[in-house]
Amino acid sequence: MPIEISHIERLAQILSRSGVDAIEIEEPGLTLKLVVDTGNRTAASATLAAADAPVTHRSIIAKADVAGQFLAAHPWQDKPFVSPGQRIEDGAMVGLVKVGLLYAPVVAPAAGTIDAVIAETGAMVGYGTPIARIRELN
Amino acid sequence: MTVTDRPRISLLGTSALLFEAPGAFDLPHQRRIWALAATASKWPGIREAIPGITNMMLTFETPPRELDTLIAALNDGWDAAEGLAIGGREIRLPVTYGGEVGSQLQSVAEHCNLSIDDVVAIHAAPLYTVFALGSHPGYCYLGGMDPRITMPRRQTPLQRSAGGSVSIGGSQTGVSASPGPSGWHAIGHTNWTFFDPTWPAPAALAPGDTIRFEIERVIR
Amino acid sequence: MEILSVTGPASIQDLGRFDQYRFGVGTSGAMDEVALRAGNILLGNDENAAAIEIPMMPFKLRFGRDMAFALTGAGVEAEIAGRPIPPWWRSHARAGDVLTIKAMSRGARLYLAVGGGIDVPMILGSRSTQFRGEFGGWHGRPLQAGDTLPCASSTAAIDELGIEPADITLARPDAAADQTIVRVVIAGEYDAFDAATQALFWSGRWKITPQSNRYGYRLQGPDMKPKAPVEKRSHGIVPGVIQIPPNGQPIIQMRDAQTSGGYPKIATVIRADLWRVGQARLGSELRFEQTAYTDALAAEAEMSTYLDRLRTNVRLVEELRACR
Repeated sequence: MPIEISHIERLAQILSRSGVDAIEIEEPGLTLKLVVDTGNRTAASATLAAADAPVTHRSIIAKADVAGQFLAAHPWQDKPFVSPGQRIEDGAMVGLVKVGLLYAPVVAPAAGTIDAVIAETGAMVGYGTPIARIRELN
Repeated sequence: MTVTDRPRISLLGTSALLFEAPGAFDLPHQRRIWALAATASKWPGIREAIPGITNMMLTFETPPRELDTLIAALNDGWDAAEGLAIGGREIRLPVTYGGEVGSQLQSVAEHCNLSIDDVVAIHAAPLYTVFALGSHPGYCYLGGMDPRITMPRRQTPLQRSAGGSVSIGGSQTGVSASPGPSGWHAIGHTNWTFFDPTWPAPAALAPGDTIRFEIERVIR
Repeated sequence: MEILSVTGPASIQDLGRFDQYRFGVGTSGAMDEVALRAGNILLGNDENAAAIEIPMMPFKLRFGRDMAFALTGAGVEAEIAGRPIPPWWRSHARAGDVLTIKAMSRGARLYLAVGGGIDVPMILGSRSTQFRGEFGGWHGRPLQAGDTLPCASSTAAIDELGIEPADITLARPDAAADQTIVRVVIAGEYDAFDAATQALFWSGRWKITPQSNRYGYRLQGPDMKPKAPVEKRSHGIVPGVIQIPPNGQPIIQMRDAQTSGGYPKIATVIRADLWRVGQARLGSELRFEQTAYTDALAAEAEMSTYLDRLRTNVRLVEELRACR
């Protein structure tokens, strides 16, 4: 279903009401990114390159599905959600994206072993930004 | 204690305010408190006006932005308050004085230089008026106690005192409605239900009702 | 849902019972009002919906059907069906899933809210447990293993989502580790203490003794004696009032406190900070900071702003899902 202009207007209203800076929505064949212009643009492109680096084994990537600030650990906890070498289940939480006062989980799309947490704590991430690389179980 | 002729008004944080009337702990002053509470409970922003012993607490639905208007209204309200004579019911309460629950009967007698029989007779003589409800569900503060059996509250409260305890705290007396901690001295007990949340008015007694204690037994 | 194991007095609480003082009935209600509201906001509940307040771990419960739930308040080690649950988080349980809460690493009270709230009867305007009156909540008593609690409605599956804990957004400056600074407005008998004793109250580091609970926090610190003994006529008191009994050691009245008292009152913890007292741990220290009535109202407004933002942010997530 295409995104309609009325939807975009509605989304923009919701954003400005809620104090959230930006949001990205992906539909088949189309990505919509709305940024509230605060004069302070952020990007997460540096981390994208790392994700694209060639790897020798079959990996899968856990991606952010909302724009915001990446947190590898909950602010109350010292220990990150995952560390390299750690075995995780399908759906396990690998980090958080902070949007306003919300903490949205970033989850592993499959079971495996954590190769690397690509995103850095505090970095701004967007829809689809790679967060962690996971080596799939054989 | 010095007694000023103006009321004292003090804050209880942002959720309530305390109004303390000048003058004696007696029925005429308490009747003015009842009158003031009946008026103040209708003021905007006030959740409840709760009579205490010659004082009144106002709890706020929303805390007032500024307090001067409210303070002025309380002072004016007090000056204007005619005693509200509530024609309450008269309740007869059989009391067993002394015994396990009323274990402080002896110490009250010693403190007051009276015999046990004197304490019982003095305590049971007056027709008490329910001045206010408070402390715990259904508890009544009674006015009218003879000052000869005054005994200061405990230094450290008892962790658990029985429900139905008839006790003395300072120059006040009352009957507890349920078991719980107490800083007062229990001299007897009664079997009566003071509170039931399923009743239309959950407390059996209300300010203005009167109580006469009947000496059922004295256990020495 | 069925309680499998419980340590200490866990109880059903909503925001409280606020208009029954004239019958001698105190407020009861959640010791951490902000955490209860936040949990209910996460689930789209009425903010006054009843939840379980859990002061001690371990605690274990089995969900009887598919249900959304949220954990707010204390920082705990919690798992649902083996998956860890971060702090201030909502999640979804399937029928038969076991929620296990082990250690409590931060704060003093955890709130477990469920979609639609815990459906115990409303008694005198509230679902909160009235311990002294033995009514409200679950048969007017603390929860026990084997209790099966009714829930208002099962909710459609919701996404996992967390929110920023109140103590981050509403952080207070200069609090040392294991110390909580709370703002107070002075009360009626402040002037019954001489200047040196008043100064001790402000400078004192007040240790929270083990005799502290939902009724009151008994503190230990400098000796606070009034200029002359004060015995007041009984009068109404509210949660937050700090009394000084004859032994000179303050007691902060909390949610299950008596509705009246006669000990001198030196100050009252403001509503905007009372939840911080509710989350202060036994053995930790409290300090008092004097604040004016108008500043106390401003602090309440700040607390409301945090809750308003939570509400809008959580609603945003739901509206976005509806848009997609």
